[in-house]
Parts: sequence; C-alpha cells; structure tokens
Amino acid sequence: MRRADLVFERPENLFARVPPEARGRDRDDVRLLVTLPDGHRDARFEDLPQFLRAGDLLVVNESAAIPASLSARGRLGTILLNLSTRFRSDLWIAEPRWSAGKPGPLPVEPGEDLRIGTATVRLLSQYPGIPRLWFVSSNRPLDGIVAERGQPIHYGYTDAWPMEVYRTLFSRVPGSAEMPSAARPITPRIRGLLEEAGVRIAPVLLHTGVSSLEIESETVEAQAMYPEPFSVSAETARAVNRAHASGGRVIAIGTTVVRALESAWTPAGVRPCVGFTRLFVHPDRGIHAVDGLLTGFHDPVTSHLALLTAFLGIDGVRSVYAAAVRSGYLWHEFGDSHLILTSHLGPAGPMDPT
Amino acid sequence: MAVPPRHPEKVALVTGASRGLGRVLARFLAEQGYGLLLTARGEVGLREVAEELRPFTSNVASIAGDVTDAGHRDRVLEAARAWRRIDVLVNNASELGPSPLPPLEAASRDDFVRVLEVNVLAPLALIREALPLLRISKGLVVNITSDAAIGGYPGWGLYGASKAALDLVSKTLAAELKDRGVSIVSVDPGDMRTKMHQDAYLGQDISDRPPPDVTLPFWAWLLSQPPKAVSGGRFQAQASLWEVPA
Repeated sequence: MRRADLVFERPENLFARVPPEARGRDRDDVRLLVTLPDGHRDARFEDLPQFLRAGDLLVVNESAAIPASLSARGRLGTILLNLSTRFRSDLWIAEPRWSAGKPGPLPVEPGEDLRIGTATVRLLSQYPGIPRLWFVSSNRPLDGIVAERGQPIHYGYTDAWPMEVYRTLFSRVPGSAEMPSAARPITPRIRGLLEEAGVRIAPVLLHTGVSSLEIESETVEAQAMYPEPFSVSAETARAVNRAHASGGRVIAIGTTVVRALESAWTPAGVRPCVGFTRLFVHPDRGIHAVDGLLTGFHDPVTSHLALLTAFLGIDGVRSVYAAAVRSGYLWHEFGDSHLILTSHLGPAGPMDPT
Repeated sequence: MAVPPRHPEKVALVTGASRGLGRVLARFLAEQGYGLLLTARGEVGLREVAEELRPFTSNVASIAGDVTDAGHRDRVLEAARAWRRIDVLVNNASELGPSPLPPLEAASRDDFVRVLEVNVLAPLALIREALPLLRISKGLVVNITSDAAIGGYPGWGLYGASKAALDLVSKTLAAELKDRGVSIVSVDPGDMRTKMHQDAYLGQDISDRPPPDVTLPFWAWLLSQPPKAVSGGRFQAQASLWEVPA
C-alpha cells in the first residue's frame, strides 16, 4: 500500500476541540457511525448495544493515561518533552517538540542535556527510522517528575484538560502517553445496557505511545514502528478463544486492543503474552484475532488509518471516511465514534467496499 | 593529589567492539552510564571507539586481542576485577569463516576449528572466567547468534553450526546457573549492513540492509528487563514482538 493512498482531506471544523462533558453533556452523547458489511448506518453512541448480541465479547484496554508532557529547559530554551514509551523509570522514548502545537524535529544533538525540575534528562540517540523520537535517559526516576510536573499530552487543536477527562471506565494501570480514547463514551449506563444485552467485557493492557505515527516511507509497510509494553492475560486469551469457538464476535475497543490481541495471536488462537510489541497491522498482515473495532476518526497518513484498511481495504476506508466528512462526524479523542463490524456472523474476512 | 576514579555503578564487557553491532551497542551502553570494557582484535579501530565513548562515560577501558587467547581474556577480566563487577557481558566477537563462504563439502577442518573456537569455545570460556563477577552483579550474558543457526543456508554451514552450538550453550547455561543469579540470553540481531555481512555477500550490494542501530530499541527493552525474567530466551532484535518467556 502506498503512502499516497492514505491521504484525504477533512475540514478543520470537524476537529472536536472540547470533550462533551465540558459542555454539560454526557460522555456518551456523541454520534456513532456503524460500518457493516452491507453499508453504513448513522446512529448515536447509546445505540451501540443494538449492533451487538449475546455472546459477543468486547475487549478493553486497562491502561490509563499519565501526564507525559514535560516542560524542559535546554540549549534551545524552553521546549516540550513528550514521554512516549517507558523502558525503565530512567530510560524512555520521547518526542522533543517546540510546543503543543508546534512539532519537531528539533535541531538537537546526541548527548544534549535538558533540565526538568530537579532531573537532568539526556538525549541519547534518535530512534532508528523515526527521527522525531529519541531515546532519553534521566539521572532521577522520571515517574515522580511526571507525577509532580506533567501535563496531559495535547496538540494544537485542544487544550490540556484535567487528567480525569483522559480516564475511561476501564482505566486501571497508569502508563499510556496518550489516552486510549475509544472507551471514553462507554459510561456506566452504556455498560449496563451492554451487560443486559448479554455482551461480555474482558481486559488487555497496552501502554500506548505518542500519537499515531505519521507514515513517512513511500510504502506503508516500510514504516518503522516503536514498541509498546502490553500484556494479554490467560483469562482474556481464554475468553477470546471461547467467544470465537461459540460463534460470538470479538470487538476491540480501540486500535490498542487490536495491536495487543493480534500480537498474542497464533494460528491456534490467542495465547497469554507479556512483552513489548511494535506490530504494524496493515492489509498485508491482515486481521485474525478480532471481528470488529470501536474507534474514533483518525488523521490522514497515520498508522492507525493503515490499521483500518486491514479491516475494510483501502477503498472501504476511503468510502467510509468520505461519508463521515459529508455527514460532519467529529475527529480526534473527544470526537465521535466509529464501529466497524466485518461480519454479522462468524470470524473476520475482508469486506467489500460500499 | 589525583583523586582515584570512581568505580562505575554498572559495567558492560563487549567483545568485537571495534565496529558494526559491537560498536553501536557499546556506545548505547556508554550513553546510559555503563562503564565499558571493550575488546576486539583491531587495535586502531578499538582505540577509535574508546575515544568516541569518552564524552558519555568516564570509565572506558579498551584491550585489543583475540578472545580465543586465554592470556588476553585474563587481561580483560583483570580490568573488570578492578571495577569489581560485570553487569552485562556481550559475546559479540564472531568468526564468519572463509569469504566467499564455502559449501560444507569444500570447507577445511582448520576453518571449522577456528570458527568453533571463536564462536563457541571462547564465549563459554569467557563466561566461566567472568562468573564470579557476574554473580556479584547478578549479571546478564548476551550471546550473539544468527538465523543461520537454524536456517541450513548453503555456504553458512560452519558459521551456522557454531551459532547453533552457541544457542545450546546459552540455553543450557541458563538452566544450570538459574539458582546462582546469572542470566543468559541468545540474541539474533538480524541482517545488518556490517563488514561481516558484506564478507558473506562478497561483491554484492547490501545497502538495503539497515545499519546496526536498527537494534537499539531491542537493547533498550532487553537491558530494562529483570535479567532473571528473560534468562534462557532467544530473541530476534528486529522482530516486532519481544516476549518475556512464560
């Protein structure tokens, strides 16, 4: 697949800039675009249970966002260091930026030091194949510095909101640089409706790094990826395999869940797995472990958009995104939701473009 | 009066450190504040690497020599004993064998002996001799292996057989040393644009292979794991999944 295939236009007035609760509405008061094998339906998020049935399994990410954006002083003045992936408390992958709205790459050199509070953070080496990311080490554990001084990572189209805004009903283990946002509209009320409908919920853990990567290579498959810590428990692996064996569908709540479950997948099913993954889910690799995805709307030329093409094909994605723009669906973490079901019944297969 | 240099808090010993993967890994370790003991046969290259690392760590020692030479290994370990620990021992120095690669039926016994000495016997000897220091630090031994160990690729018989033997040495030692706090892994770095890879593909264009820094994300991961948790594992540095063995 070529990079150019993932280019599309969407007007800036479709960026969701504030969470619904900041306008006095409920989190579940967002729209839901449903992509089925035979076409699209416009719905409200509270309609989600109508598209599911008893025996379906929703898999959610238990990772909670941390305030990973740190103000740092150095040779270039005051910059932003967005922590992405934690190897140890003193060794991370991070993205130096001019500011929330102004990305890098910055003219920094290996060995350069930044001051963050009482810590000295050293830029070690650029991440191979992703020049905006650096390995950084610190003379003090960064976990405490993050807790004391960190802000939630945010970009030009929105402000930093209180951390509570970045937590979901399922957030349990802090560690994600950015909120796994697909579950944000699942309120206790929606969860109740899902349980009444006989839909079950199982957790995985994947600490997501900084924003979906913009693909820079000519062909999508050649893009370098960075690793993310994840784990799939024996219990969840069993629940996924049991759902499939009994004809139920496995629906990933977010692209992070797709990456975790596909990383733990073997032809014999999903197995318990703990480690770091940088699996790039694209059409050549295919989708094996899940039959559907609840997600948001993704930016052009990103790895998340490439992941959608693994479900829908490139023509399918282009068609559904054109429809979403026409119908005014809202983009980004505070925006509307998109449910993709690749089959009404049984396991996933490639879907015809509509 | 000169202040005696402070002992580094963590020490890494890297063989074959004068170029390629060894050089990149040595630098990454130095950047993280490890004291570095470097060895390789090429004295000039080794000195260059030591100079390159000095801005990152005040503790760099380089000792040129051949890892198959017991006297040389002893000199290297003497330096390690002065620092009183080895946290990471990377057996990276490897012998490809004759270039161009001969098919097994044409390979000489002498060549095979040399390949086995460098790739199997020397790493095992260095691990044995370093054990007291590795035990003090509850250290990690990293033996660099290759997909040739399982591939059966034509021409790669000597090298592949030696790496298969090294893999089994790693796995067996991991089991034998489990209760003594020393951990051992095998790491296949994958194809890289290095002198050894060029020697294996004489006269061919290998510019499509990535430079050895493609392995940095893996080293960041491996060196952040509790050594015990990964011991006995065999990892591919360029894979998309690094799994803690169950």
